[in-house]
Amino acid sequence: MQIKKGTYRLEKRGLNFNLSDELNFNNSANCFYLRGGNGFGKTSFLEKIIIPALKENKVPYLYIGQDIRTQLYTLRSLLAVQGIKVFDHDEVELLKLWINHSRSATVFILDEFDKYFPDHGFIFDWSNAFIRTYIMVTHLGYGQSEAVAAKYRTCNVKFDLIDFDGHIRNISIKKE
Amino acid sequence: MVVLKLGIILVLILSFFWLFVFGPFYDHIATQLVVLIGVIGWNMLRFSLRETISLLKFCFPFVFTLFLFGLIFHFTRLLGRQDWLEDTFIKCIVFPSSLVFLKVLLSYITYLDILNLPISMKKRVDLITIKSAFSKGEKILRRFSWYLNTYSGLESGSNIKYRLKKYACLMIALYLYLYEEIENSNRLLRNRYQHLHEANK
Repeated sequence: MQIKKGTYRLEKRGLNFNLSDELNFNNSANCFYLRGGNGFGKTSFLEKIIIPALKENKVPYLYIGQDIRTQLYTLRSLLAVQGIKVFDHDEVELLKLWINHSRSATVFILDEFDKYFPDHGFIFDWSNAFIRTYIMVTHLGYGQSEAVAAKYRTCNVKFDLIDFDGHIRNISIKKE
Repeated sequence: MVVLKLGIILVLILSFFWLFVFGPFYDHIATQLVVLIGVIGWNMLRFSLRETISLLKFCFPFVFTLFLFGLIFHFTRLLGRQDWLEDTFIKCIVFPSSLVFLKVLLSYITYLDILNLPISMKKRVDLITIKSAFSKGEKILRRFSWYLNTYSGLESGSNIKYRLKKYACLMIALYLYLYEEIENSNRLLRNRYQHLHEANK
């Protein structure tokens, strides 16, 4: 599955992305780090461009959003409906259960997960047996994402603001 | 003034239920349809088209289930009744219209109204907590639904099975959220009030 280079407009969110390089999620053992300032549309790009493309191509994926505290309610209810006991599980145990029950996924998307769990390496330990591609939005420095670097080829994708006319922000997205 | 405002709202709610839910216009299908269209229009003016569509989508599974049971009762001629279909149809209109009516009318009660009520602070805090939790709950539903759409684990089986499981998840998540939210907000409000009270002393 790939996101072709070109222009992607999200008018409701006031964003206009100019993707200079194709993002190819077909190769295995890749980890894409999406970096850029606040308000540059990283989450919107994930939720409105990447995730719909994964759905359209029927690529099974896991997504942990930036508002993980909100998402945890849905994870708890999802596991409960699937007949898994979750009553006395804390959030980390809940995530582990969910990941263990989602072994058909090949892509794992994490939006600023490291903000909530600075020791986020555990997420790779639990999932690297079946995940081929990680896509991570991060604000961490380049050298600080070592948890995955040893096993996966790293690809940094940079979001930069080109201009803002008061309504639309033009954002360039480039591989580094 | 606030007592008068809340009194009018209460009278309107009671009148609505007396006239259209339990009273003389219950089985007037044309009137019920006009009321439904009216309250949907009111909701659109008060909030937005998007919010109204999302509210109707929320009602849909309940209305659908109601209709399904009505259909089963009709074909099995439950209790020998012949009017199951007509009665179900009315209920399918009354349920969303009363829900939307309540929601719109209650939205006119502000936090300031609650603070100005001549009741104890404990009761005010409880009312504020409930109002805050439900307005947050309403906003969070869309996000819950979005997350549930990303879980491929739900998608096994038929489309109906998927939708039923999704709505079950949505209800459980909302219940868990409201439960925690009410508890946390209540604790926070009481704590702040207590400190303010002590500081004023």
